Amino acid sequence: MKAKKRHLLLFILPALLLFAVVFVYATSLMFGTSFYEWRLASKASFVGFDNFVELFQDRNFNKAVSNTLIWVTLQCTIHVGFGVIIALILAKKEFYWKFFRTAYMIPVIISPAALGMLYLCLFNPKIGIVNSVINAIGPGGFNQNWFFDYSTAFFTVTMTWLPYAAVITVIVMAEMASIPSSIFESAKVDGANEFQINMLIVLPMLRNIIGTCIILAATGAMKNFDLIFMTTNGGPGNTTMNLPLYIYKTAMMDNNYGLANAASTFLVVLGFVIIFVVTKISKLGKQVD
Amino acid sequence: MNIGKISLAIVKYIFLSIFLVISIVPLIWVFLSSFKTNPEILAAPLSIPEQFKLTNYKDAFEIAPMATFYVNSIFVSIIGTFSNLVIIGMASYAISRFDFKGKRALIALLSVSLLLPVTALLQPLFMTINKIGLYDSLWGLILVYAGFGIPVSLYILRSYFLTIPEELEEAAYLDGAGIIRTFVRIIIPISKPAFATAGVLQFLLCWNEFQFALVLTTGNDSRTLPLALSYFTSLFSANYGAMFAATMLIIIPTIIVYIFTQEQVISGLVAGSVKG
Repeated sequence: MKAKKRHLLLFILPALLLFAVVFVYATSLMFGTSFYEWRLASKASFVGFDNFVELFQDRNFNKAVSNTLIWVTLQCTIHVGFGVIIALILAKKEFYWKFFRTAYMIPVIISPAALGMLYLCLFNPKIGIVNSVINAIGPGGFNQNWFFDYSTAFFTVTMTWLPYAAVITVIVMAEMASIPSSIFESAKVDGANEFQINMLIVLPMLRNIIGTCIILAATGAMKNFDLIFMTTNGGPGNTTMNLPLYIYKTAMMDNNYGLANAASTFLVVLGFVIIFVVTKISKLGKQVD
Repeated sequence: MNIGKISLAIVKYIFLSIFLVISIVPLIWVFLSSFKTNPEILAAPLSIPEQFKLTNYKDAFEIAPMATFYVNSIFVSIIGTFSNLVIIGMASYAISRFDFKGKRALIALLSVSLLLPVTALLQPLFMTINKIGLYDSLWGLILVYAGFGIPVSLYILRSYFLTIPEELEEAAYLDGAGIIRTFVRIIIPISKPAFATAGVLQFLLCWNEFQFALVLTTGNDSRTLPLALSYFTSLFSANYGAMFAATMLIIIPTIIVYIFTQEQVISGLVAGSVKG
């Protein structure tokens, strides 16, 4: 089989080429040009760290960073928490579990742009049902423009991501399926109730997978573009601006390529720092045990 | 004790139901609303349509070039999925069977791309696609999507290939078959489940992707379905019924694919993410 080296190369080459174009070249271009003053049609000139200095003086960029960090935190805690709780309930595999899992996954697999459109209509003060339902239950006269009012925009955008907790549920359930049932049985014989079993036996066994889910939630929150673009488009003002949207606007609206790529470089570094920290924390817990 | 158990169960069901409402009710509402007339939509958002007529769907096709977008989306999704599976299938096979220098580094490099927020590559890929002359072309989208699918497809296919006993192929090699023949005749048929899993995920990626489609195309000839929505937001207030119909037209194919390939979608999502 050693004589097949030439064929081996043939088999890997297309993938390498594809990877080189889409990831390697693009990443180096992003990183390299973040140190250049480079706008549409003008020649790029080296400016050192000027772009990064400019970014941190930009009010919109600072808002984008703080929003992104808040959303990453919320998604890593609340979404992962909800996802795990649902997984613990559904893992009992009562007759309805498959139906719930199927239903929960639907918003996850449809186009996020279409989901954004759907929420835009849902929360619309004229045609949406959110206000109608609130008026039907409450005293009436309630008229909130959820996505476009300063006081509610951030909250409403945060809510649109809630269905993505289903991904966590599915992953945690797959992991739970690998826990031998004898462990639950012996715990029950020892007189432990459901709550105790979950808290003392299941959750500690799920530590690694929950760590993975947190990383997944964090990277998901850092990629989110479609839902915001379709709903608030960062507004009102810059209340719902995040890094992907900032990058899009800087690159495609302002045509300031150097600055956009500096923001991209910042996003990539931020992503790896967060992953590093999460991994460190979940390993730290292990050593204490 | 009994009361505690019952109230715990009630809390449990309320919790599950709230999430069920969040995931399903908006969809059902948009589905029902897509049959309503504009006055009906404005008068009573909660009502059920008086008649189930397809007028709104017809309007949607007239307001936006939905038919072209449909053809484009189907083309991009099929070619994008097929090319990703062929290219990554071959590479995964070579990586899973043969040792060479730098193999582990290569696998690590390919996998790290899963953790990269691809949004960061927006401008660089815009530039690259422009340079190679694929701007505003379906082939540009196919290239980018096939690339984005590398880490997940690689992981799913490679781990499946590793479970296939090598004796099967050795017999073929002894009979004088080359690596290509062995791959096509033996490996691909046995690995159908893995190709199906990777294929469904890649298909969904191509069908749903929005941001790069927005940036890498400009004319109607090469735009994909999710971008059709911009026609309805920019003309907001014009025709709500058609807007609901357009949203359904984008969602329905995905839901059909999902219903039939649920196990693949879920096992693929689990496999692809656990890697990260």
